[in-house]
Amino acid sequence: MAQTGGLTLPTAKPWGLPLRPVTALRVAIIVAVVVLWEALSASGWLYRDVVPSLLAIGQAVYATLSDPTFYFHLGTTAYEIGIALLIGGLSGLAVGLLLGGSKFMSRAYEAYLYYLGPCPKIIFFPLMIMWFGVGPGSKVAMGAISCFFPVALNVAGGMREIDKVLIRVGKSFRANTWQMVTKIYLPAMRHPVINGVRLGLGVALIGTLLAETKLSNRGIGFLVIQAYSIFNMPQMYALLIILFVISIGANTVIGRFGGLDEIRRS
Amino acid sequence: MPAVPFERIDANAPKTARRDPILVVDDIVKRFETPDGVLTAVDHVSLSIAPGEFVGVIGPSGCGKSTLFNVIGGLLDGYEGTVRVAGERVRGPHPAVGMIFQEESTFPWRNVIDNVAFPLEIAGLPKAERYERARRFVKLVGLDGFERRYPAELSGGMRQRVSMARTLAAQPKILLMDEPFAALDEQTRLLLGDKVLQIQQQLKQTTLLITHNITEAVQLSDRIVVMTYRPGKVKRVVEISLPRPRSSEIVSSEAFGRYVAQIWSDLREEASRGLDDEESRKLREADTR
Ligand SMILES: Nc1ncnc2c1ncn2[C@@H]1O[C@H](COP(=O)(O)OP(=O)(O)OP(=O)(O)O)[C@@H](O)[C@H]1O
Ligand SMILES: [Mg+2]
Repeated sequence: MAQTGGLTLPTAKPWGLPLRPVTALRVAIIVAVVVLWEALSASGWLYRDVVPSLLAIGQAVYATLSDPTFYFHLGTTAYEIGIALLIGGLSGLAVGLLLGGSKFMSRAYEAYLYYLGPCPKIIFFPLMIMWFGVGPGSKVAMGAISCFFPVALNVAGGMREIDKVLIRVGKSFRANTWQMVTKIYLPAMRHPVINGVRLGLGVALIGTLLAETKLSNRGIGFLVIQAYSIFNMPQMYALLIILFVISIGANTVIGRFGGLDEIRRS
Repeated sequence: MPAVPFERIDANAPKTARRDPILVVDDIVKRFETPDGVLTAVDHVSLSIAPGEFVGVIGPSGCGKSTLFNVIGGLLDGYEGTVRVAGERVRGPHPAVGMIFQEESTFPWRNVIDNVAFPLEIAGLPKAERYERARRFVKLVGLDGFERRYPAELSGGMRQRVSMARTLAAQPKILLMDEPFAALDEQTRLLLGDKVLQIQQQLKQTTLLITHNITEAVQLSDRIVVMTYRPGKVKRVVEISLPRPRSSEIVSSEAFGRYVAQIWSDLREEASRGLDDEESRKLREADTR
């Protein structure tokens, strides 16, 4: 795509600056933060280890990543989030299709979703513990509840936005219901659906981890709270950094699904 | 009204009323509920089309052509009257009927070849066969070389040709077209019109073409139904007795000119009624504000 056939323009800048201004600015900010952080940590102004040195954090990241029990906790959390996403996502998809497909259903029920959607799901946690126990069950439930709302609302909205003529095209070629759903409705709605799943993943992560920090004996959230209770600051920062990287990675993977044909879209 | 003498140039032209019609539209009335009350979009329209016949429907914007098109295609219900295909009452999309829509209707997530192969996929044709056929029809509408492109990468006229190819690829016995050439320039329109006519003759397709382009209607049709502005009624039916096979060259003939003039005089009345209506509506709205 990027080749300019035939015409050879001098692309290299004459003074040979290796970075574009934006990149340079970004690097500068990172360098500044690192320097400030180290200075703050060395100064000893803040109470004990609240700002540990980057070296200590780096060592903690390394130690955490080479500790097999970490992977047990990571696996637990990943499993909880995976199941939560599956349950919350599929039920959100089904409810969204129902609401988007029927004016009657949407008039009757959609308002509830709008009221419940923004309400902090953590208030359900005590209930979930009673229903599903203190193990992964209640965490999955929290993640699933969180994930359900953005998926359902996005799918319902996306379904109403579908160009009606595309539905008429499908019908005119006598597509059956299954074909209509798989070959027209879902592909036509892929952007709102993926957007919903992306938002859903974000809140499922929050729901699950929050639940783990409240009451549990395994999972990343449990590790964070454990590190906090023994005031192991480098360990806490290490966990946060690892979590951060993982959630960015997950988001990118989901974004790829939707972004792949972005340019091909009208 | 001065009678224009239209001699039948081709004595063998199908005498439409004599043969058993394949498509019968009987006394259709379609009303819409609108905020300003009930609007009668189609008012007691009847048509009877013989196998292989090419009928044009022409009328001013907003006269109910697309509504009639959707009723015949089985995509609208809640109307009075009946539509019959080969004697059988239509209650939904009929397998023998193919539709080309007025609106932009390509699937943005499918490339050109997959768009055209869509009806064949729905019908369950084996993969090799449907791509072979799709490729043939992509070529027919002059889009070879664009098979892997997505609609967003094409011009409006190219996209309209993709939807044409898609419907033609299904090889329907009855073809309904709602202003399929509207987004095209005059030259492409004429050439593509020739192609459609070629296929239509080959497949002995029965065709209903909705348009508001008089040249296009006369060039292609055996018969032209002129509709009135709201409510949409049949104002006149004009037999076009130009010889077949026709090509776009016919547009410069004298007989062609006479047909165009007659239909234009009919249509001008309706179109200006439509415009007056629009204008007075705007004035009324301005008054009430
Ligand atoms: N779903 C609908 N609800 C209410 N009114 C409608 C609906 N569809 C069409 N109409 C009205 O019916 C009339 C006929 O519309 P239609 O689309 O059939 O016109 P048309 O002849 O195809 O016009 P054009 O040549 O501009 O495409 C218009 O006045 C339109 O406003
Ligand atoms: Mg129309």
